[in-house]
Amino acid sequence: MRYKMNKKTAMLPGYAMLNLWILFTFFLIGWIVVASLSTTSGIFGGKILSSGFHPSNYSKALFTHNVATYFKNSMLYTFTACTGVILIAAPAAYILARYKFKFSNVMESVFVSALGIPQIMIILPLFALVTKLNIANSRLLLIILYIGINVPFTLFFLITFFKTIPKDFEEAAAIDGCSPMKTFWIVIFPLAQPAIVTVTIFNFITVWNEYFMALIFANTSELRPVAVGLYSMIQSMRYIGDWAGMFAAVVIVFLPTFLLYIFLSEKIIAGVTGGGVKG
Amino acid sequence: MKKSKSMMIIFLAPAVLSYLIIFLYPSVRTAFMSLFKVENITDAVSKWEYVGLQNYQGLQESSLFVQSMKNLVNIWFFGGLIVFSMALLFSVILTSGIKYKSFYRAIIYLPNVVSAVAMGTMWMQYVFSSRYGLLKGVFESLHLTTLTNIQWTSPDMIFISLLIAYCFGMIGYYMLIFMAAIENIPTSFYEAATLAGANIWQKFTKITLPLLKDVFRTNIVLWTISSVAFFIWSQVFSPLNPEPGTVTPMVYMYQMVFGNNMVVTDRNVGAGAAVGVILTLIVVAMFAITSKLLKSDEYEY
Repeated sequence: MRYKMNKKTAMLPGYAMLNLWILFTFFLIGWIVVASLSTTSGIFGGKILSSGFHPSNYSKALFTHNVATYFKNSMLYTFTACTGVILIAAPAAYILARYKFKFSNVMESVFVSALGIPQIMIILPLFALVTKLNIANSRLLLIILYIGINVPFTLFFLITFFKTIPKDFEEAAAIDGCSPMKTFWIVIFPLAQPAIVTVTIFNFITVWNEYFMALIFANTSELRPVAVGLYSMIQSMRYIGDWAGMFAAVVIVFLPTFLLYIFLSEKIIAGVTGGGVKG
Repeated sequence: MKKSKSMMIIFLAPAVLSYLIIFLYPSVRTAFMSLFKVENITDAVSKWEYVGLQNYQGLQESSLFVQSMKNLVNIWFFGGLIVFSMALLFSVILTSGIKYKSFYRAIIYLPNVVSAVAMGTMWMQYVFSSRYGLLKGVFESLHLTTLTNIQWTSPDMIFISLLIAYCFGMIGYYMLIFMAAIENIPTSFYEAATLAGANIWQKFTKITLPLLKDVFRTNIVLWTISSVAFFIWSQVFSPLNPEPGTVTPMVYMYQMVFGNNMVVTDRNVGAGAAVGVILTLIVVAMFAITSKLLKSDEYEY
């Protein structure tokens, strides 16, 4: 116990704030969920509880307002990008963690420095490049971009983990006549599973919520992921006027990461503070 | 361990290649582009017209850009003040051995995993709504007429509303980092201080804060990186056009290069690149300043 709590009263305002905070969060999410099952006139009249149960808002949001398409797109982008980024970053992280060569430290810092480069610094030439190559507005382009922008973080996360795996595993495999490359995929990669799972959860959240790249590179309704799709829906809200449907869309958009968090919050929190990779 | 050169190349090549294409080449090109007048984003380099630092001067003269920089500074400074002090307060309370610690911690961090567009919509369309909003309802039931009548989304309040909503979501992340650092401090430090008669406040300022120096440095850099990338919240809070209260440099750049409304009329991609360079330099400068000011002392626990 770091602060003796015999003087509990000194912390009382803090406790009050903490509880108020939690209450507010619950109320906020709870209200949105209830409103998403209400009607637009119920929302405006302040009677979201007594305006009846309208799950049809969800089918309206999904099919009339295209959220189903956005959802499918987001699923596709998220799953392929999360897989791709591991296939690219894990082998590279292994080399940087295990082998010392002339520029290995420099290379590591160069990769890490990408975490500080704002997207606005890279977006213009990327846009010019994809226009020139004529690959703008395709699902593949977004997947490639999502893989590319998440490589530095994934690499950084996995290097730390690979450094903790004892070298005995490789030595034993070498004695058995296993080639280094095979050793990585058969022995090391499965060992790294806890770290790979944690970093994939983070990548999942990042890609699912990604907005700026999609806004610029997915310019048609069929290609949009949920974040941009929801935004375009908000923009046209004054013409659609379907507030209940909008709140249903909000719920659909936040549900996947929310559910992921409910089940994996301990792992996610441990990952943020660097303790999640101990398996 | 035997080195296998071919393996090293095969394993590193995809990551290095993706870095070169997605980070290095675009960054270098953006830096160059900021010194040229470029009419169209797809123009070949041969069509660029060298103008030196004129793009940067032009930005200085644009009142909307100056406003966007002011907003950025305010988000960084006031937002940082709110986020860091709340995160510290919560982390001190949560590491003091209270019940349901992981529950509180999980709920406070929750907004970080939810799409910012969804979070922003909840705030904008519910909490701040002038018709059925949460704040309006709460203040009304408490009979606080002045507070009830605040128009949270009006031009003179929108920045404050935006800041409150943004900070609400960010506190959890910094709280987690502070908490981990506080939990690393050996309890014996606090026990010794208690024996010496130190009160809570003294323990916090004399033990906890100095030992959090490294974490502060990391957090300030992270906060700067997320501040310069401030974009989604501005868009959600001003869905139609950028407004003086919500515009940020990234929004300005987006409107200038990709926008299709009449707010930013002078279409010069070079100036857009200059905005990118300025924001990157801010991050680099903050990194250098915090490394110098908050030099890490090596504590061994």
